[in-house]
Amino acid sequence: VASTAAGTSLIKCVVWDIDNTLLDGIYLESGEQPPPPNTVLLGVVRELAGRGVLQAVASKNPPEAAGYVAQLAGLVFAATECGWDAKPDALGRIAARLGVVDAEMAFVDDDMLERAEVAASLPGVLVLTPEDAADAASWPRFSPPVVTAEARHRGELYDDPSADVPRLHELSVRTHQLNSVGEPLTEEELGSMLSSTGHEVTTVRLADDFGDDGLVGAAIGVRVTAAQQAELTVPLVMMSCRALGRGTLDALLAWLCRSAAAAGAARIQVPCRLTERNVPFRMALVAAGFRAEPGSGSPDGRVLFSRPLAGDLPAMPDYVVSPGRP
Amino acid sequence: VTVTADQVAADLRDLLAEITGRDELRAIPSATALFGGGVGLDSLAGTLLLRQVQRRYGVDVAAEDLNLDSLATLGTLAAFIAGRM
Repeated sequence: VASTAAGTSLIKCVVWDIDNTLLDGIYLESGEQPPPPNTVLLGVVRELAGRGVLQAVASKNPPEAAGYVAQLAGLVFAATECGWDAKPDALGRIAARLGVVDAEMAFVDDDMLERAEVAASLPGVLVLTPEDAADAASWPRFSPPVVTAEARHRGELYDDPSADVPRLHELSVRTHQLNSVGEPLTEEELGSMLSSTGHEVTTVRLADDFGDDGLVGAAIGVRVTAAQQAELTVPLVMMSCRALGRGTLDALLAWLCRSAAAAGAARIQVPCRLTERNVPFRMALVAAGFRAEPGSGSPDGRVLFSRPLAGDLPAMPDYVVSPGRP
Repeated sequence: VTVTADQVAADLRDLLAEITGRDELRAIPSATALFGGGVGLDSLAGTLLLRQVQRRYGVDVAAEDLNLDSLATLGTLAAFIAGRM
């Protein structure tokens, strides 16, 4: 049994295992339907996140597993390490990314060997069994003196968007019916857009009663600045076919219109390359009130669809959850 | 054979009911909006409708109507199709 370090400093970050810890079962061995959550532990996750304690995941699973658990918990993990590396390595990367030291971290895992490995390599980390962690919210080390609204949002702010780059690249290659331009972007291009202040990348994750599809779509907009706030241009909108017929693209377009209007833009425009395959995309644009400007077609086949941002904006369905909902 | 816009509209009502599974669409007036309030067509249902229209009447609405203005109401779509047959 792993020993528990007798630290006294406040815990700023809890790193959770997934299989048989946050989930009652093993994600990859559960077939079509992922295992149900451990509701007690997810309650602890939410409670601690509400106190501003960072919540992270380290799991020997594909990234979808972390997305599934995040959906169940209704929050964004501050960091996720999914892969087949040793747990101490995963914790080391999480600590570096979140700027916490070992003595400020707790690690929860049902697997005795994993706990032993972390306890041996990182003696400062508080190592807990799931049973221990069920009570953790009542312990002083997990109770910061003051909970501020800012701390509650830290989880979202810490979320690392670069983790989405491979999936965004895949979407840019594979989506056709719901893609505004149908041109792949490289991981390098996407990475630089995600880190640039000139672009605003909106991602969409989809989960319903049948399961969690993870990241299904995205829009890349040119950020509205005070100098040229008249128009927001969105050079790429793309959505997986899995989301077709589930209102997801309509929700994304409504989000784009509403957030652009909130940022002070008077107009939003989406260059769209007309193909036989992306008729569904054009249909969604028109349904959201976009129209092509006469003579706006360019030699490469792109037509500029735009709409004013005054008056009635497309409605956001009430099932859309987003930070800073416009 | 000439087909009137009214006949096309009757066909479209049946198509809409079949695609969306909503029987009440068999009785909508011609002025009912297809997007938004009214039929509330989404991109999937709208695409399926245009595919059926192309199959049945040989009219490729998406290719001929960039802005899909013909999809404003049931009546405008029926008139657009009837005018191209």
